[in-house]
Amino acid sequence: MKIGLEIHFQVKGRKLFCSCPGQEDRSNLGTFERRLTVVSGENQDRDLAAIEEAMKGRVFQYIISENSCLVEMDEEPPHLPGEETLSAAILAAMMLDCKIVDNIHFMRKIVVDGSNTSGFQRTGIVGLSGKFTHGGKSVGIATVTLEEEACRKIAEEKGRVTYSLDRLGIPLIEISTEPDISSPREAREVAEAIGLTLRRGRMIRREVSSIRQDLNISLKGGNRVEIKGVQSLSQIEKVLEGEIERQNSLVSIANLLRKRGKQEKIVPLDFTEGDLFSGSALILKSRGEGKRIFCFRLPHLRGLLRSGNFRLGSEIAERLRAQGIGGLIHSDELPNYGISQEEKESLFSRLKCGEDDAFGIIAVREEEVDKAMGIIERRVAQAYEGVPAETRAATENGTRFMRPLPGSSRMYPETDIPVIEVNEKFIEKIRREMPAGVEERIEQLVSLGIPTQEAAASVRKEYDDILEEFTREFNNPKLCARFLSTVFSTEERDVEAARYIMRRMAMGNIPLDSVEPLYIQREFSLPDGRKIIFEREGMRLLLEEGGEKREIGNDFRYSTMSIEDLEAIIDKVVMENSQTVRERGENSFKLLMGKVMKEARGQFSGRDISALLKKKIDSFIRKGGS
Amino acid sequence: MEIEGTFLTKDSRVTVIKLKNGYNLSLNNLSIESMALISKHSERAGKIGGIEGKGKTVHLIGTGGTIASYVDYETGAVKPLTTAQEMLYAHPALAEIANIDADIALNIFSEDMKIGDWVEIARKIYDKIGDGEGAVITHGTDTLSYTTSAISFLIENPSAPIVFTASQRSSDRPSSDAYLNLLGAVKVAQTRLSKVAIVMHSSVGDDRLEIISGVRARKMHTSRRDAFRSINTSSLGFIDRNMEIHWNDYSEIGNETMKLYEKMDERVALIYYHPGMGEEEIHRMLENKNGAIIMGTGLGHISNALIPVIGEYVSRGMIVGMTSQCLYGTVNMQVYSTGRNLLRAGVIPLGDMLPEVAFTKLSFLLGNFDHDTARRMIAVNLRGEMSERRRE
Repeated sequence: MKIGLEIHFQVKGRKLFCSCPGQEDRSNLGTFERRLTVVSGENQDRDLAAIEEAMKGRVFQYIISENSCLVEMDEEPPHLPGEETLSAAILAAMMLDCKIVDNIHFMRKIVVDGSNTSGFQRTGIVGLSGKFTHGGKSVGIATVTLEEEACRKIAEEKGRVTYSLDRLGIPLIEISTEPDISSPREAREVAEAIGLTLRRGRMIRREVSSIRQDLNISLKGGNRVEIKGVQSLSQIEKVLEGEIERQNSLVSIANLLRKRGKQEKIVPLDFTEGDLFSGSALILKSRGEGKRIFCFRLPHLRGLLRSGNFRLGSEIAERLRAQGIGGLIHSDELPNYGISQEEKESLFSRLKCGEDDAFGIIAVREEEVDKAMGIIERRVAQAYEGVPAETRAATENGTRFMRPLPGSSRMYPETDIPVIEVNEKFIEKIRREMPAGVEERIEQLVSLGIPTQEAAASVRKEYDDILEEFTREFNNPKLCARFLSTVFSTEERDVEAARYIMRRMAMGNIPLDSVEPLYIQREFSLPDGRKIIFEREGMRLLLEEGGEKREIGNDFRYSTMSIEDLEAIIDKVVMENSQTVRERGENSFKLLMGKVMKEARGQFSGRDISALLKKKIDSFIRKGGS
Repeated sequence: MEIEGTFLTKDSRVTVIKLKNGYNLSLNNLSIESMALISKHSERAGKIGGIEGKGKTVHLIGTGGTIASYVDYETGAVKPLTTAQEMLYAHPALAEIANIDADIALNIFSEDMKIGDWVEIARKIYDKIGDGEGAVITHGTDTLSYTTSAISFLIENPSAPIVFTASQRSSDRPSSDAYLNLLGAVKVAQTRLSKVAIVMHSSVGDDRLEIISGVRARKMHTSRRDAFRSINTSSLGFIDRNMEIHWNDYSEIGNETMKLYEKMDERVALIYYHPGMGEEEIHRMLENKNGAIIMGTGLGHISNALIPVIGEYVSRGMIVGMTSQCLYGTVNMQVYSTGRNLLRAGVIPLGDMLPEVAFTKLSFLLGNFDHDTARRMIAVNLRGEMSERRRE
């Protein structure tokens, strides 16, 4: 089994070929309609995939969004890519150990499903021949490319697709691995690890939809199948497992078919006016719409269309649907749809079916019958070969047919953008700013006293720099780690508010355990009934006491105990533990601190308490332990 | 590292190869250690045959420009259409509505077009439409309205429609406007319209085409599909999404005999007046010229300081006409004293005629008529290039 990944990351900042902001934008400033046409040069082989899409003869409607301009409308030539975007792509390629190209050469990749107003996607190789090591295994990185994101699909109806221009042109970094991956689980792990690595570069947009995977999979003896649009990491495994099952069953079908006999011509017979199907609402409805009912023998296909793991029937049906022709009813699924066992038997005999023959029924307009038969015959021919090379769309836990696999022939240079030279100086500048790898970074954080789990989470969510900064400023790695993990699990992620609260805590203005509540609920009740309120808008703290509010100044102490009370507590603890202090000296601090905190927590800042305790222990020892 | 691909080009800096996955790779020459030949690429032979069309015959004449190119995906090269067959091959849908007789007159960028080329094109069209079948001429957009204007004057009483079309997005792109524009142009060429017309997109969408008189059109946007606008008059008509023509202003071919004029005077100047323009500049531009069109400011003005110089040229026999940089609206040289001074100096007000149209018209008149006739006819409406009424 060979699996390759294509991972797409949306890059932060402006769009790739214009200055519009790269974001999703639901605004609608008007619409326009277009059609797309593909014509090749002197040789007749128009790209297979392109034709298939074009055959659908669709009209594309585009919604103009606030964050789009004439460039997205294909009404103005593209502008040069921004330097920050180029740097991000080069950095990504470097982090995956790629050779950076001498020149970025943007190409036009023909895409005629309307998702690009131009009819092509602009894409250029930034790096190639890299490798990524994960769990001791090395996965080759074929290419890292910088390309433009497609339109966001809004609606699809017969002959008409509506797209929004908001997403079109957002820069995408595409990472294509070599087919070095050998199991669905490994595929998910590698995808996750590559994502984590790139996040270190701080170039990926944070939105959930900003990462998308395509998968390539081929089994031994089968063709390559490309699976588009896997939205989440957890979906990767499910989709691949479903696809492997499908491909395995297709290989079995091919083996069986080759034994049963050669493919024969499929001849449709018109059963519209006959005595059959009077009980089938489905067929009566089609007939009412002016469609004709055709039945035909499907040689050697009995039991292969639908039984056990075999699903050739739905493979054929999805091809028909992709061309706008309704579904297929076949003998393996009958009796059903109001078609009785007797009618099934009667059709077997009227269509002169042998014992391994199946039959099919379609309802189409007269002029569509040849097209439909062509589609069915082509798919049956492929069934003899096994797994057809095609592009499929990811579903919940499997895939569905989209189009035949495009060849590599549908690319040509984007002449509106000059070839961009990537000089040594530029590369060096980026290399100097290259961040540490994931594991190295986690180690750095752990060495500061941050627990491993929180360190890893901070790297994953890209707040490791902030965590390091907090830890260095407030000198309490565990608290900082816990607090920031809370802050970064909320929507707002208001780092400035978090910093402010931490600062006031460090100054002794508020107790340690009020930090999280003040950030989340914006208030905290002291044991004596007074309430501390955090005003996020004005960035200030208020004390509510007896219905009155006053601002908490920098010299405020929240404690109701006096400093004398604290001293008394400490003296008492030192005396009660005099034996230990005598024996262990300064090392008894930790034990004593715990005991003091039991009584003084919430009254003084830990820093104040520990300073006073240290002083007391010192003087106790100096006095010779008496 | 080793890279395998199809060699495309090499210049002093880079070598370009096409990888198997379709991407082009531009390698700095200095970074290439060695190159070895694996096998030779042989171009597949062309497979273009004649295409039999159905419907009324239309003569398709190519002159170059964005509309006439296609891609060779094997090498990724965008090639210009050099033969009539290639052009037909690239636009197979045409055969569904017309029997196309294709021919190539020129293959140049429209910005490279010269005055002599207009006569060349006019002669070609004249020869073709003599049989009463319309002509569609493909052209670059940049100077399209100069050409349509020149052809409007050079061919009097055309015996069949003369329809120009172009595209703002090259035809190698799936989103090209060329396909629809061409179809619409062929439709119009199958009518009995007695004028030179331009057929291009009405809006940014592919749902409507505008039919604009060749002496009223102007490119008003650098890149949009609907760049061409009918100035100072409504368009001749439009074509809806079902390819039905709706006319606003249709004049049918009559019994008059078609006449071809074969001369244009190349010694005509087109002067864009700007503040600070000096006498010397005027001299440089008018030296050795037989006529000049000024694009004045507002209602048709230039600095009072320059009027005596212009007057001098007029008194020596030069025909000088005034148009406006505003494009929209007519010149009126009675309103301000500057205008009256210009009139006294002999400058001829040209109403709402577009500057480029006035320029080709003067070139046409000086090329084919005596001086006095030319002076008299420059301000007379010959082909619908000017009008008395304006509604916007």
